[in-house]
Amino acid sequence: MNEKELVAKAQAGDFEAFSQLIDANKSKIYALGLKMTGNQHDAEDIVSETLVKAIDNIDKFRGESAFGTWLYTIALNQARALFAKQKQVDLKPIEEYLPTKKAEDLHSSSGFKIFDWEDPHKRLESAELKRIINEAIGQLPAKYREVFILRYLEELSIKEIAKLIHESEASTKSRVLRAKLAVRDYLSGRFEEQYGQKMS
Amino acid sequence: MGKKCLDYISELNDYLDGEIDPGLCAEIEEHIGKCENCRIMVDSLKQTVKLCREGKEIELPKQLEDKLNSMLKSRWDKKFGKNN
Repeated sequence: MNEKELVAKAQAGDFEAFSQLIDANKSKIYALGLKMTGNQHDAEDIVSETLVKAIDNIDKFRGESAFGTWLYTIALNQARALFAKQKQVDLKPIEEYLPTKKAEDLHSSSGFKIFDWEDPHKRLESAELKRIINEAIGQLPAKYREVFILRYLEELSIKEIAKLIHESEASTKSRVLRAKLAVRDYLSGRFEEQYGQKMS
Repeated sequence: MGKKCLDYISELNDYLDGEIDPGLCAEIEEHIGKCENCRIMVDSLKQTVKLCREGKEIELPKQLEDKLNSMLKSRWDKKFGKNN
């Protein structure tokens, strides 16, 4: 049975058809919630509330997008509603992620060399590395964490993200870059500490 | 060339995502070849994405799945007027 037929059956009250429609997406929504919020309790709330909203609004689904995309949009809105309650902080401007006072030109900064991580897998235990990575994503302010996850973990295009977050593509692209620079900056600091090669 | 490192940083997203015009791509690669710090920035930004993608597959805990199934069935029956 294809998705259109499953949707028609679900809209007529067939729970089995609805279960089939959500089966492939439950884990994905939970994972999104976990990455977005950084805690299991909120992730559970997001997946539960998303699926309850899907039931309540199943008759409004018109098939203009794939069913999974529709669910995903509901989940994202749930996560954003949680973030809206949090204090919003901003990241530094892009140029400040260049780790030198002479930010406009690293190349000419005589003798200054930024920290080279090389391969962290060779230097850190995998559990420690995973913890640091989760911290790096988790420390991002919500609006940056959201685009970082959507772009690099969910692998959505800039155009798709811009549509989801109601921003222009140019502004979305800039937000993604700042998020990525901030994650890199955090990882760099933590790896430098961990490698025991603190540089001035 | 007249461009400085900062001029390239704003183009890095497109460069790293392979969505940049070939002329600018060649220019960035030439710059990276000469500038060790920019080379490190590019390598570490590539690794940032790679590391964050590791372990992104997360399974729904069995206990939560059971709880969800029961809660959703009850919600469904309420919506569609089934009480059994």
